[in-house]
Amino acid sequence: MIAAAAGRPKDAWRHVRLLFLAFLALWILFTVFPLYFMTITAFKTAAETNLTVPTFWPGDWQPRNFVGVFAEKTNFSALVDSFIIATANTALALFLGSLAGYAFARFPRQAGGENLAFWILSNRMFPPVAILVPMFFLFDSTPWGTDSHLSLILLYLVFNLPLATWLMMVFFRDAPVEIEEAAYLDGWTPLRAFAKVTLPLVLPGMISVAMLCWIFAWNEYLFANLFVGSAVRTYTIVIPTFTHGSQTLWNLQMAFSLIAMVPPVTLFILLRRYMVRGLSLGVVKG
Amino acid sequence: MNQTVRDSSPSQPAWFRNKRTARPLIVARWVPVALVGLPVAVLLAIVIYPTIWMFYHSLRDTNIQGLFMGSHEYIGFQNYATVIGSDRFQQSLIHLVQYLTFGACLQVLIGTVLALTLYEFVKSNALRTAILIILVLPMMLPPSIVGVLWRFLLTPSNGAVNQALLNIGLIKNHIEWFNAGVSLWSIIIADIWNWVALPLLIVYSGRVSLPPAVYEAARVDGAGQWKVMRRITLPMLKEVIAIAFILRFTDAFKFVDLVYIMTSGGPAQSSELPTYIAFQRGIREFAIGEAAAYAIVIFAISAVIITLFLKYMKRVMKAQGLA
Repeated sequence: MIAAAAGRPKDAWRHVRLLFLAFLALWILFTVFPLYFMTITAFKTAAETNLTVPTFWPGDWQPRNFVGVFAEKTNFSALVDSFIIATANTALALFLGSLAGYAFARFPRQAGGENLAFWILSNRMFPPVAILVPMFFLFDSTPWGTDSHLSLILLYLVFNLPLATWLMMVFFRDAPVEIEEAAYLDGWTPLRAFAKVTLPLVLPGMISVAMLCWIFAWNEYLFANLFVGSAVRTYTIVIPTFTHGSQTLWNLQMAFSLIAMVPPVTLFILLRRYMVRGLSLGVVKG
Repeated sequence: MNQTVRDSSPSQPAWFRNKRTARPLIVARWVPVALVGLPVAVLLAIVIYPTIWMFYHSLRDTNIQGLFMGSHEYIGFQNYATVIGSDRFQQSLIHLVQYLTFGACLQVLIGTVLALTLYEFVKSNALRTAILIILVLPMMLPPSIVGVLWRFLLTPSNGAVNQALLNIGLIKNHIEWFNAGVSLWSIIIADIWNWVALPLLIVYSGRVSLPPAVYEAARVDGAGQWKVMRRITLPMLKEVIAIAFILRFTDAFKFVDLVYIMTSGGPAQSSELPTYIAFQRGIREFAIGEAAAYAIVIFAISAVIITLFLKYMKRVMKAQGLA
């Protein structure tokens, strides 16, 4: 529409436009190709995945791979373990984060001020290698040990708690305090006012925080790889282990990966509007 | 018991105060402290305690037996000298620069170009949404899937990428994706595939929320498209792009999983990043003291960068009157 107002679109601009569109098309191809190959591999027979010349269309469709992958009982329990850990961790991060976020939004000075808020956020960015080793020995000396749901539920707070605190602070600031005060004037207790007035206002924000935390915990690999492995196995550490002797079972591995992708991808498609605010730490409004 | 908590300290920057709070809420003084205290206590236990532990052992000759027997001695800064003096570390710093340039920087550049192309040149709303969803899909995958998927695709002998490139005639021979000198590039390609969506999504949303009135004005003034892009869009998106850049940059210092899954730092340590060495020394080889020194060095570098980032973010939030 801007071009139309400028009289006639200049020739050069039209070429630039074509160039950029071509780049976009190429990039879509680059993005889709691995996903496409992953999908068709999941439908191939084991023999077809190991041909010297790979095929780009399955010769023999094997939808049974998606069932066959659960013949190994531990594969299903890995998804369950991941689900338990991600959900419990999200609940914990969201609960603790909301407490602090509310305090930072409503009583900034009494809650420690902006420096404390920024310190909490900074924890999210620190490299996890700095804490892996000591945490391993610390959890090793506890009754539940490292190889348990609880160890990962607590450990994932390292990245999810700062995120939840910071984002809940941003969302609570968006919720007007006047309504809450009006509730006080009507004689409501602070807890009731919080539950009935403020909570519904921040609920969309809260859902997006929960979704982000859940995806981060669901997809976490580094801590899980070190801490758990026999009693508890998350699906992320199971994926690299699809082997039969020296052969990698690519078709089952890809089928399992596709199944594990479903929850985060669904969450993203449903809630993508809220996602940007969270990913940019509240700076960019979605 | 109910004391009035006043919230009008002039030392607070304007954006941090809740602008809508005309009158302060009335609560007991201990309430905010208790609310913040819980998460802070958790973070002290799971972040600060381990950091202090690492710092302590970075000054001692700790190995795995020593740790369990409690027999390790103070050796000053020897571990740091070992780390900084080693070729392995210096090599990995060069790799880190390569990764930061072609991973983090290039991702932001490509993401920005894609976001603006999508917004300016794709007119149909449904098509835009569809493209956006497709381009963001890789970001939803965990590093272990991304790692095994790309290791599979890049298999030199019968991998899909080599075959596809052969088929369209771009290459004549198979590329050895996991040879020395190439393997780090393979990791970078996988990482770009995985993370371009972050800057893309952020810049796209930033562009969507720019006020249309400005563009109306430019239209009335008869400004050309290129001029509008250069003089209006890009300057107004400066902060948003910077945020995307900083997010990718800080993530780069945490980056280790793809190295671990795709190449294990090899062949011959040619794709190692400092984080990977710290991981390897501490967890696979149990040279706790040395690994701690690695961790503290990485920690120090990223602390500087994170501090700069947070300063900038404070400024952006102030400027936008956010909160």
